[in-house]
Formats: sequence, structure tokens, C-alpha cells
Amino acid sequence: MGKILMVNASPRAPRSNSKRYAGLFAQYWKGEAADYCEVTPGKREEICTRAGEYPDLLLVFPLYADGIPVTLLEWLKVLEKQELKQKPVVHVLINCGFLEAQQNLVAVDMVRLFCKENGFPYGATLCVGSGEAILNTPFVILVKRKLKRMAKCIRAGKYEKELVTMPLSKKTFLKASEKYWLAYGEKNRIGRAEMETMKIEGE
Amino acid sequence: MRLVLSDMPFTEPLPQREENRYVDLSKKKISHCIGCFGCWVKTPGRCVIRDNATDVYPLIAKSEKILYVSRICYGSYDTVMKTMLERAIPIQQAFIRLHNGETHHVQRRVVPKDAVILAYGSRSQEERELFERLVARNANNMLFQRWRIEFLPQSQVEAAVRREVDAWEKS
Repeated sequence: MGKILMVNASPRAPRSNSKRYAGLFAQYWKGEAADYCEVTPGKREEICTRAGEYPDLLLVFPLYADGIPVTLLEWLKVLEKQELKQKPVVHVLINCGFLEAQQNLVAVDMVRLFCKENGFPYGATLCVGSGEAILNTPFVILVKRKLKRMAKCIRAGKYEKELVTMPLSKKTFLKASEKYWLAYGEKNRIGRAEMETMKIEGE
Repeated sequence: MRLVLSDMPFTEPLPQREENRYVDLSKKKISHCIGCFGCWVKTPGRCVIRDNATDVYPLIAKSEKILYVSRICYGSYDTVMKTMLERAIPIQQAFIRLHNGETHHVQRRVVPKDAVILAYGSRSQEERELFERLVARNANNMLFQRWRIEFLPQSQVEAAVRREVDAWEKS
């Protein structure tokens, strides 16, 4: 008992923040095993089969165009068609780059709806705001606390919906995010003026 | 410009007008966004994946009237439309602004637009309500000034598209 499968459905899973969130969660999981896999087109069915061997399934993914990423959508459509040995309890760990963790809630409810339509029990939720950067700041401690609590709640079968973000004013967050993205551009020798271009495909 | 973006083909051609563009996504080669942020920090305004999506997102940006036709699944646009919308992020900047009291990305040269979404294949009232919440969120990130969603069976989609395109002519 106490096995959980963490499924990373980020479009850039091998180098994603979702991978880092899953890694942190695994540190706090006190059960038998916290196993990890990444959704790729070639592994969709294999991961579905594995999911049927676990009592708990943690979906880890970023908010994408206000909803679940197409990587996850396609995998859920495959999962819907599988005959599993058992249907695990589905939990969600989602992050978005915006300050408001609440912006993730529509995507969470998409997973809930999938569960309801297909007979999967739904469990715990953790929504992370400012998720692009928070892991590289001192506020990572807030995320760690929530992940620890989430792991404990899942083990106990007492499910909660939690939100966490940087405790910053919106004005301060805007400045911090600007600094973050300018530094990101500098790594590619792209300056502010180029990043701020209004042109799309050169027009 | 006015744009019909559809995940399904139509049996009869739509009326040809200089301002109108019709895109059948089911016939386009559009790969998944790989989340590289290249369109923000390497080649701003241009996606590094050079497939058909690069023809479509400039049209989305330029259109003041937009008609999306999409199957819905779990309260989301289904995969064809969702893949395209995820590939449209080059029309935004990496930078964040306050918009309607929330943090959202700064838009590049994107025209504010009136949107109509014809959504087919819904399985429940709960799914329709969730999709409405999704589109309300999209409105913040896609510069919808006004939007309307019509849920309908797939068999009625083509007639509804023609009605909407005719309405553009009369407006």
C-alpha cells in the first residue's frame, strides 16, 4: 500500500517545472513508492496500464491557454478507453505563471469532470501561482509546506483543495516577473526592445 | 479582418469576401507547442516550429471578428483547436501586465475582437458550464471584447457558420 504514480503531462516534461514539483512532492511522500513518468505520444497506453496498478495517481502539469495542456487532454482520452485493473484516486498538482493561483481552477475542474464522467474518484488539489519562478525564490518554502501537507492528506485519504503563490502585491510581482523574463532573454542575447516587439511573424 | 477557424471541414464553400479568412484546422499540419518560450525569448513574435500554425496565429491577431468552431471535451476545446490555441502564444509577450485586475501577458499587435464560439459534442450541462468558464478566461488572454457561445449538435454546425458569416455581411 502507499504507492502513488506521478504523471508529468507538461509539454516540456523532461525539463519542466512540473518535474521539479513532482520531485519535491516525492520527497514528502511517506508511502511505499512515489513513481514518476512523463507523457509522450509513444507512452500514452503504457502509462495508462501502469496507472491501473496504483491506488493513487498524481497529475502534474502547467496551465496552458487557460486549460489543461493538450498533452494531458490526449492522454485522458486514451485513459478513458482503457480497462484498468482498478481506478486510482486522481489528484492534481498544477502550476501557472500568473500570480493568482485561482487561474488554475478551470483546468482543475476539467480533470474533475473527466473523473466524474469516467468513474475515477477525485482526490486532492494543489494550485500553484507564480509557478514559473517561485521554486527559485525563498518562497519555495511555502510550496514545500503545501506539498508536504498534500502528501500527508493523500496518505490519510482526507482530500483538500489548496492554493499557494508568492506573497507579493501585484505591482511587486509585475516588477519581479519583468526582471525574470529579461534575464531569460539575456541568456539568448535578446534584449528588452526585441522581446517587446509588437510584430507577429515580422509584420 | 474576419476569421473562421474550424476543426472540421464544411461540405460547401463559404462565401468569398476580401475581408474573410477561412481556416480548416483539420487539414493543417500543426504540431504541439513544446513550451520552449522561444517565441518570447529567442525569436520574439515567431514560433520556432515552422509549420502551418505560423500562418494561422497572425490571422487570429489581425481579426476583429472571430468564429471558432470546435468539438468540446471535458469542458475544453478538443485537441485540434486546443493545439492551435496553444501554438498562438507568439502573439503575446513574455511580460505580464494587470488586466481586469489579474495578471496576464502583454499582447503584441492584437486587435480587440468579438468572438463567437460554436461548440459541438458536449455531453452534459456541467460540461457546457465549464466551457463557458474557460471562454470567459480566454477573453482576458485573447482580447475578446464580447463573446457568445452556442452549443449545438455537429449536424447543425455548418448552417450556423453560414448564418454567422451572413451576419458579418449585414453588420
